[in-house]
Amino acid sequence: MKSKKKIMAAARYLILIVLSLFIIVPVLWMVSTAFKGEAQTYSPIPVWIPSPISLDSFKKFFGLYSFGKMTRNSLVTCLGSMVICTACACFSGYGVTRFKFKGKKQFMAFLLVTQTFPSVMLVVPFYAVLSAYRLTNSLLGLTIVYAATNIAFSTWMMTSYFETIPLELDEAARVDGANSFTIFSKVVLPLTIPGIAAVAIFVLINGWNEYMYSSILISKDSLKTLTVGIVSLNTQNQVHWNDMMAASSMSCLPLIILFLCFQRYFIAGMTSGAVKS
Amino acid sequence: MSKDTIKKTKKGKVEKRQSIGYAFIGPAAFAMIAMIIYPMAYGLYISFFNTNLVTKWKFVGLRYYIQAFTNSEFYSSVLLTFKFMILVVIGHFLLGFISASLLNTEFKGRTVFRVIFMLPWLFPESVIALLFTWILNPMYGVLNAILKSLGLISSNMSWLSSGSLAFPTIVFVCIWKGYPLVMTMILSGLQSVSKDLYEAAMIDGATKWKQFLHVTVPGLRPVLTTTLILDSVWWFKQYTLVYTMTGGGPGKATDLVSLSIYGTAFNDLQFGKASAWGIIVFGICYLISKIYRLILKEE
Repeated sequence: MKSKKKIMAAARYLILIVLSLFIIVPVLWMVSTAFKGEAQTYSPIPVWIPSPISLDSFKKFFGLYSFGKMTRNSLVTCLGSMVICTACACFSGYGVTRFKFKGKKQFMAFLLVTQTFPSVMLVVPFYAVLSAYRLTNSLLGLTIVYAATNIAFSTWMMTSYFETIPLELDEAARVDGANSFTIFSKVVLPLTIPGIAAVAIFVLINGWNEYMYSSILISKDSLKTLTVGIVSLNTQNQVHWNDMMAASSMSCLPLIILFLCFQRYFIAGMTSGAVKS
Repeated sequence: MSKDTIKKTKKGKVEKRQSIGYAFIGPAAFAMIAMIIYPMAYGLYISFFNTNLVTKWKFVGLRYYIQAFTNSEFYSSVLLTFKFMILVVIGHFLLGFISASLLNTEFKGRTVFRVIFMLPWLFPESVIALLFTWILNPMYGVLNAILKSLGLISSNMSWLSSGSLAFPTIVFVCIWKGYPLVMTMILSGLQSVSKDLYEAAMIDGATKWKQFLHVTVPGLRPVLTTTLILDSVWWFKQYTLVYTMTGGGPGKATDLVSLSIYGTAFNDLQFGKASAWGIIVFGICYLISKIYRLILKEE
């Protein structure tokens, strides 16, 4: 019995290690290429540990390619959309769980249907509508687009979180003479911080990683976001894979750190929202 | 609970609360109307025109919709996308199920493995596309080098520019990118299945397989339904990964419907036609979710 258990445990680790190699090897290759000079990048026999370790590609990230500026653009849009979207999701999550009104069911069902809207189909109208408001080639326009496309899922996530907060709290505060907004902001909202964190990270990651809308709505070089900037390296006459992998690693790093710090909130919030719907 | 509290309050109060409810959903509703409904309606409107959005506005009625069904250009792309979606979703569920069930028990190093398995999901699609383009590079790619050293291939393969290899290759990369989400959902579903049910089944003498069939699967059904719908629809709409890796080529080998819509709009500047196709794709995605719901509805 005991030896059987040991074999099972060994088998588990074996499968886990094989599966993680399948994830880790490509990622290691990205990082390894990022630290290579030109010669080793194009060596016929793959070099896994670069020697000497070259930091040139990282220097070019901030220098030659001005990715510093694009990083700033990405940061501005994803933080902006995070604030707008999280606020909207909190308000509507509270409204939906605390009040009874006509059209509530339809509102929630509609939010779900928008998940089936193909984003590529919204691109054409977004382009047309934003052009009309002169919001193409503007970080504000992009921020609004990111916020709008994330509101539906965020609201579902927030709603399922608000449902876990007992209504007696609201009632008690109401008896004490607090108005709805005070109850919302002073009593209930502080209790939903884990949910808010989950929504905020979700929107942040989506904004940081987004490519399609950004590539269409922004054509000015000084306003491009990081993902678009990195991909544009691929279309230049001479492709420098080491530079591209360095930039790619740099763009992944913030998300990995964020995820490691907030892992627990994130998975909990993400799944509670989706499971309920 | 909420119904009871509202019933107790007087009629005047209910109306007041109703307006406050609208006030709270106001910002989200406004954003959805301005940025989702209005653009959608606008998209529907321009789908009846032959237009480049600037100078040319020629009413064509339903011509683009009819063309979509009579002209093979569109429906061959839709068929390819279906094939793509089915393969990718099967891949996600296989990998997601295996990794979730391995991670569902306590053991040393569980958190490490969980973080590793989540990595592909954190990376931007564009970055993953570039990374695999580099790994699969026919001249300097590491995959060819590895396969050659193992003696599996004798000459370099051009994974992304060969008509027969490009499609399986992008399916593979899309499975790599997308399975962590399915894994997370299944994992949370497995954790929500009550332990008592397994104990009861064990007492009744059910084998592991029977436990899986009669306890795990029914317990997972709600999660699986949602995940299946979202995953299918999301990957049916896939654009960035495939566009960055192959641009739809070689020929039309990987020309998914999102890519052909994009090309029609922004390369051919036929915005009306692109919108009409977009509306049809929305219809398809909506139908997919409806059909799943019908089939998987709890008995």
